[in-house]
Amino acid sequence: MTAAGRIANYLTHNGCHYHETLTLETLARLEETVLSIWMRESGPAFFGALTLHSLAMAFVVGISLAVALRLVGVAPGLATGTLTRFYTLHWYCAGLVFLSGAALLLAYPAKALSNPVFYIKLGAICIALLLSRHFQNRFSDAERPIDRTSVRLAYLCLALWVVSVSAGRFLAYTHSVLLASRFY
Amino acid sequence: MVEILLNFSQASGIYAFMNSPWGWPIAESIHFLGLCLLIGTVGVFDLRMMGFNRQISLAQLHALVPFGVLGFLLNVSTGIMFFTTAPDQYLYNPAVQSKFSFMLIAGINMLFFYGTTAEAVKASEAAAAIRTRAKLMAAISLGCWCAVIVCGRLITYYRPPYHWCLWC
Repeated sequence: MTAAGRIANYLTHNGCHYHETLTLETLARLEETVLSIWMRESGPAFFGALTLHSLAMAFVVGISLAVALRLVGVAPGLATGTLTRFYTLHWYCAGLVFLSGAALLLAYPAKALSNPVFYIKLGAICIALLLSRHFQNRFSDAERPIDRTSVRLAYLCLALWVVSVSAGRFLAYTHSVLLASRFY
Repeated sequence: MVEILLNFSQASGIYAFMNSPWGWPIAESIHFLGLCLLIGTVGVFDLRMMGFNRQISLAQLHALVPFGVLGFLLNVSTGIMFFTTAPDQYLYNPAVQSKFSFMLIAGINMLFFYGTTAEAVKASEAAAAIRTRAKLMAAISLGCWCAVIVCGRLITYYRPPYHWCLWC
């Protein structure tokens, strides 16, 4: 079967439209860049990015969970203002999460970008990080009392991290395309 | 051994759940969330003992540690689910053996910490010698948990029968 035939077959099978053919073509080009091939084929590069992503994610999510738990009423003796100082480490780790995430995305761009679960993960992480920024601004300067809105936002933050971690795990099981270049 | 673990998995219903369409990723998600909880509480406590964020009281921060224990229990429960569903993939895997070794070191280190240093360290005027010992224990603990994450990621790369292990 010709490449065009295979693409048409794939699109019919997955209910895709014309603009998605163009996206697949762009992704296939991206997959053929030197950096993308190196990320996929060099064992240490891919494993390094994957491990760094997990380690950094554990610190980002862990510190966020600790602050959110404090805000929902756990460990009432613990000063919220001093706890939020751990956000410095959290932001460095968030930087590592995005760098390693970008490297992993470059290795298999079609696998993630053609999967709606990836956008759920990205959206949940972005909103959770915005909430972290909000908590840091609100509670870092002085010992402010924890208001009801902050408690609600802390529950939302906990839920968003559960969603983002789960979506991250489900990504490996829900992709329909591994490499776009196999269609060309 | 493999047969005993598989029989347990099948008799307890774990095998059926893990082989359902979403069983494995659900268990993996809970496993990683447990690990995050552990890092966010025990890891943060370790960092504080190592000298990071000195303004916060160790005794107050210790109140979060029970959530780290909860995270560890989630890890153990889901870990048993993985291990018993595909015992041949884990039992003979050098990455799993390394992971368990680091967990054992972390456990011994924790017992030693609570047996000798914890109470003194929680007091604000701990002696310099105790602080040094506590720093070392915290570094071992944090290092072990980070190594556990790295070994966890390595499991996929060392699936039997392609790799040797200590007892196979």
